[in-house]
Amino acid sequence: MNQREYHIVVLGSGGVGKSCLTAQFVQNVWIESYDPTIEDSYRKAIEVDGRHVILEILDTAGTEQFTAMRELYMKTGQGFLLVFAITNMTSLYELNELREQIRQIKEDDDVPMVLVGNKSDLEDDRAVSRAKAFKTSQEWGGVPYYEASARRRANVDEVFVDLCRQIIMKDRENKHRTREPREERRGRKPRPERDQHHRRPKCTIL
Amino acid sequence: MSEDMADFLLPRDDVGKHASALVAPLNIQKQPRNQEKRHSRQSSSKGGASIKSQSQSQSQSQISPPLTPRSSRESLEQIQASLPVFHNYLRAFYHFHPSSTVTSSTDESSITVPISQGDVILVHSVHPNGWADGTLLASGARGWLPTNYCEPYDHPTIRSLLNSLTNLWDLVREGENGDLFAFTKQDYVRGMIAGVRFFLEKTECLTRDSSLIVAHVGLRRMRKGLLGDLSSLVKAAKRLQDILQSSETPVFPHLDEIVLKAFKLVTRAVRFLDIWAQDAVSLSFDLGDGSNNRPLTPPSDSVDPTVQAPTTPNHNDADVTPTNEDASSVSPTNATATHNEMNSANQPPRIPGRLSVAFSLPSDSDALQSPVFPPSLQTHGHRLSITHRLSYSGKSQGARKQSLASERLNAAHDAFLGFIGSFIGLHLQSRSSEELTLTTQESVIACRKLLAVVEEVWERDSRRSEPLEQAREVMYTRLTDLVQATKDMFGGSQYGLGEEVVMPEAGKQLVDAATSCVRSAGDCVAKARLVIERIGDFEFEIEDETLSKAVFDQIAQAAESESKDLEAPQPSEPASEPGRRPSEHTLETEKPLPAPPIESDERKMPPPPLVISESKPLPRVPQQIPNSNALQPGSPMSPPLGDSPTLPSFRMSRTSLPPLQQVPTSHLPQSTPSEYSQSPASATRRFFPKGVRADSVNASVADSSSSYRYSMRGDTGSIISLTSTRATTPEHSPSKKRSSQAFVSSSFGSVSELHSVASEDLSAAEEHLLETTFAHELVYNKEGQITGGSLPALVEQLTTHESTPDIVFVSAFYLTFRLFTTPIELAQCLINRFDYIGDSKTVGVPVRLRVYNVFKGWLESHWVSETDSAALGIIFSFATGKLRTAIPHAGKRLAELTSKVTEVRAGALVPRLASSLNKAHIFLAPDGHTPAPLTSRSQINALKAWKEGQRQCMITEFNPQEVARQLTIIESRLFCSIQPEELLCLEWQKKTGSKAVNVRAMTALANDLANLVADSILIYEDIKKRATVIKHWVKIGMFCLELHNYDSLMAIVCSLNSSMVQRLKKTWEVVSANTKSRLEELKTVTEVGRNYTVLRQRLQTVVEPCIPFIGFYLTDLTFIHEGNSTTRLLHGESDPASASVINFDKYMKTARIIDQIQSFQQPHRLAPVPEMQEWMESQIQRVRSSEQANVQSYYRRSLLLEPREPPQVVKAAAAGIEDGAPGALSADHRTTSKERFDFRSFHFSTNVVKERPT
Repeated sequence: MNQREYHIVVLGSGGVGKSCLTAQFVQNVWIESYDPTIEDSYRKAIEVDGRHVILEILDTAGTEQFTAMRELYMKTGQGFLLVFAITNMTSLYELNELREQIRQIKEDDDVPMVLVGNKSDLEDDRAVSRAKAFKTSQEWGGVPYYEASARRRANVDEVFVDLCRQIIMKDRENKHRTREPREERRGRKPRPERDQHHRRPKCTIL
Repeated sequence: MSEDMADFLLPRDDVGKHASALVAPLNIQKQPRNQEKRHSRQSSSKGGASIKSQSQSQSQSQISPPLTPRSSRESLEQIQASLPVFHNYLRAFYHFHPSSTVTSSTDESSITVPISQGDVILVHSVHPNGWADGTLLASGARGWLPTNYCEPYDHPTIRSLLNSLTNLWDLVREGENGDLFAFTKQDYVRGMIAGVRFFLEKTECLTRDSSLIVAHVGLRRMRKGLLGDLSSLVKAAKRLQDILQSSETPVFPHLDEIVLKAFKLVTRAVRFLDIWAQDAVSLSFDLGDGSNNRPLTPPSDSVDPTVQAPTTPNHNDADVTPTNEDASSVSPTNATATHNEMNSANQPPRIPGRLSVAFSLPSDSDALQSPVFPPSLQTHGHRLSITHRLSYSGKSQGARKQSLASERLNAAHDAFLGFIGSFIGLHLQSRSSEELTLTTQESVIACRKLLAVVEEVWERDSRRSEPLEQAREVMYTRLTDLVQATKDMFGGSQYGLGEEVVMPEAGKQLVDAATSCVRSAGDCVAKARLVIERIGDFEFEIEDETLSKAVFDQIAQAAESESKDLEAPQPSEPASEPGRRPSEHTLETEKPLPAPPIESDERKMPPPPLVISESKPLPRVPQQIPNSNALQPGSPMSPPLGDSPTLPSFRMSRTSLPPLQQVPTSHLPQSTPSEYSQSPASATRRFFPKGVRADSVNASVADSSSSYRYSMRGDTGSIISLTSTRATTPEHSPSKKRSSQAFVSSSFGSVSELHSVASEDLSAAEEHLLETTFAHELVYNKEGQITGGSLPALVEQLTTHESTPDIVFVSAFYLTFRLFTTPIELAQCLINRFDYIGDSKTVGVPVRLRVYNVFKGWLESHWVSETDSAALGIIFSFATGKLRTAIPHAGKRLAELTSKVTEVRAGALVPRLASSLNKAHIFLAPDGHTPAPLTSRSQINALKAWKEGQRQCMITEFNPQEVARQLTIIESRLFCSIQPEELLCLEWQKKTGSKAVNVRAMTALANDLANLVADSILIYEDIKKRATVIKHWVKIGMFCLELHNYDSLMAIVCSLNSSMVQRLKKTWEVVSANTKSRLEELKTVTEVGRNYTVLRQRLQTVVEPCIPFIGFYLTDLTFIHEGNSTTRLLHGESDPASASVINFDKYMKTARIIDQIQSFQQPHRLAPVPEMQEWMESQIQRVRSSEQANVQSYYRRSLLLEPREPPQVVKAAAAGIEDGAPGALSADHRTTSKERFDFRSFHFSTNVVKERPT
């Protein structure tokens, strides 16, 4: 088994451009037609900090209304891309719920996660200010926030790479932890500390 | 120039002049060189001292770049040098007639093809030394020919025809390898037809009545001939199709026939273009020239401006030494007359064809140097090899030459992956270190080989693709890493891990390195392929082959045999590829590769002597190359001379010049027919090898050129004489490997045949052609499926007359056309089709019937009244008007349908897809197979009691199989009523006014079902009861699976698998192992990973009826919608002028998914139990309307039932204690969803869920 295969789940309400984001990321630029029905449609090999990993992306696009399915999706994910559209405030609010569900299912406050404000090309229609989005990301414990444009392919790779980096780090941490006595592990739990280390507040803007 | 028809009556010479005038620009470029040669040589022949001095002065001026032509040339070179491109077609502009007889016949691989001016050649490969493997369109002969005698042939008007010819050729080659599928359809012929049509349209000669055709006898005849050729091609294709259908045996002769016919057609089109370019252009037809980056293309005018200024001082003494300068000296305002004279003086060496607009390349030097082939490659002095046209028909690779770069690349990549694969595999299994070492070595070697190939490609590309270089660098690094990792590991193992076994962990780094190697290799290979596509495929050298011996045994063998015996024909190649000359260029100096033929030829032939004297194998281009060197010392040409150690001998260094100069003079007098000497052209002509050609050939050449002239004047004999001239060619081409000889001679040789063709089939062809077609606006993929096209082109596909329209295509069209056009547009387009096709028996009537059928199908089964009724008026008036006039009964029927559609609209849903709806209503045909309900009387009574409010029912009271059945019936009802429109354009996603009622209902049902499952479990306080319910649902799930009700199954599994149920550890302890393993089974089926692979595979084999999980279809549709653009470029990204057409591929994909869904839309044969359904629906309804029916409240209930275990509790104590109390629970339930949401988001989970004290 190749352990370097990470599962990423892309979440967000319908119409925020999740699928575009994923398609842009997964798809080779020169491929003329995109066929989502094949097994490898959502797999992509990338290099993160010199490590080669395969990302398997589960994009829930089209099935947002299957709320009962969410858990199934979330369970498979090691990292989550929470996507909203900067043109739609509701889409950001809806992410709160998703995030809570993730934390609950993972029973972990520290799930690798990236908040993505998509459609950054539609600046004129912006409904979610950067400050607001950034604030949300901070409330979530300093989750990195990116503004991306799938259409212009801006920050697309960056978003996935950042998430992947978090997963790798988490992975390492976990391995590390397993060798530590349990108590100790719990001991280092306080969030703030971790935030400083791994989750520098980030706001990437185009 | 305003010549009109009167010109045709001019004496021949004048015509020649006139013609040459058009070419002026071309000459300007190359003139300088010619002059140089000329003067030295000429001094003797023509004598005038004045001339000599003049020419000297010219040559000087050439050295210092004051001349205008230069500047223009330089800029051109820059442009072209930056775009080394493999040209598929060449046109000879010198004669090259090696000793026609002996040489070539001995060995296929050394066959040289004689070429005549104006011959158009389909190039298969180009050897670095400048010889190209090509097929003469005129004769079908294949062999080597010197590229420096040629120039790229490409012109917007004829490009589409040429492209379809290339396509046809590739198809035929596929066909030879046994893949004849393409020939069972007529698409390729349609491509040719469209090409011809486009061609005639662009030349404004499409209809018989076009002014040009009416006015110009020559063109008229050519056009007729063209049509004749076309119709015979079409016939041949039909015949082949029939043969394939009747599966008679030998098809190869027919393939050959088709190729030859196509060649003939194109040849004639080229001729046509020549004449047209002379006359039509002179008539100041403005051809919107598409050859943008070739400023000089338009014959007369564009160049002059640039040229003239500096050179003005120049001389008009050009009579003897005609020069470009002369031409350029003419100020633009100069009357055409002067122009003509000057040019005609210059022009002589050119063939008439040379004059055509179609000769787009500005100058031979450019053609020779940079853009086309070897020159640019040579410039870099790297190992060279043959450049091949990269065939895009990717199938039957096996038959392709393995030494081609593309093949090598693939093979090397495969081999590399193979080794690396086993390498990685080994590591994971921790075998002996010895074995590991070996594999590692192999992997590294394979990797190196791959790198070598990539390197080769990179070097080959004069543009030095940067991405490729980067990719290569990365790969180098990875390889180094890999090697390093290997070293490290073995270093480590020596120190202690034990030498026998390498622990997997120790090898981890190695595996990492290997994986990254694989990755970068993939990247590298992809980039290399791109480069190959751009520069043309080419062959590898022997060196490499030895290098890669282990990997490519076969290739290596072949290569070896080649190296031993250059002439050895390639066994597998039907058409011989004469020896490829690897790195042994030095040897070749003596025994030049392509040279072999040449040498011998040259000995016999006048021009060759030059080569002999130099012992230079190069297809010594007559004069040009040397000149170009002389002229452009700083040009890219010169560095290679010094730089490339391998090729010095090849290079046309100056030393080679003297012999050249001498030779021609001596030989020319003899060979040049008197006819030439009389013409103004003769002087210059002599210097071109063509003049060298003796007797018969020369005669025929003369013939052909004269025939052109005659034809221009409208001589009735022109076509015939043309053909007869052509007929001589085959004799000179010793290389007829194909069985097609007969065809060659018959198709080209017999005048009478042409006549008969002309008389019989002309009208048919005419019709064929006049048949307006938009076939050139279609895009196909490699499998021959339509992936794009303009609306008229797509409509044409719907209404073809040759074959039944593809059903998949048609249904996809019906389903999706509203996404890329409007009903009104479609109706209009269909009516246009009806109009333009005419009413001919063979074509018009069948097509018109198809048009009617399309309307009928639309109205009958694909009508969507909300959108389509807008077109009703148009359709109705068409039905009662044109259609009724043409086909009365069809008109009547269509009119009926229009009113019917209106009536139905008054009703509810229009019966659309027969498949889904009809079947949905045949619900339960009494047919005996329906299983009897598994409900006991008591259960029914219980349900009745429930209905009367007397008691509650629990899910466990009922037979799980029956529950599954009733559930399936409920689901099926919804699923079968899903309309295709609901699935288009993300309709189901719309937040308001979504028409996707059924899709949404299904989604809701799945959610409710999942909630119901959770609800029914969590309702019990008793662990055992909960376990029983779980068991019951697992059973229901199993039965759902049995019934192929994947939607319900998904919901059930989701719920059983959800954290709120899963976390009930105590409950699960009570659940039997059997149940658990069944649940595992169900889980694997509903696995979402890997893009639902398991589920997808199941659905492929499932026998309907079936209720698929529509979730992933919705995802697919979303991604197709978002991931594919709505339009695509007609000619791909590379062509900036490419028009954008509908990306039909996107809609085909969409339709394919919808079609799949529809195929499942069949009701299950199950007997409903109304009582039970009622109860179930009420349960679902209860859950739906319950505020508690959401994940959060279920989760909390779950927490209540089985609180978190101590270890989970974190230090922060006692925050949200009350939540544990029942009271808190109910309070929670009462909160509105909004409140709940806020609460949860910021406090609840952290405090309560995570840190809840015991």
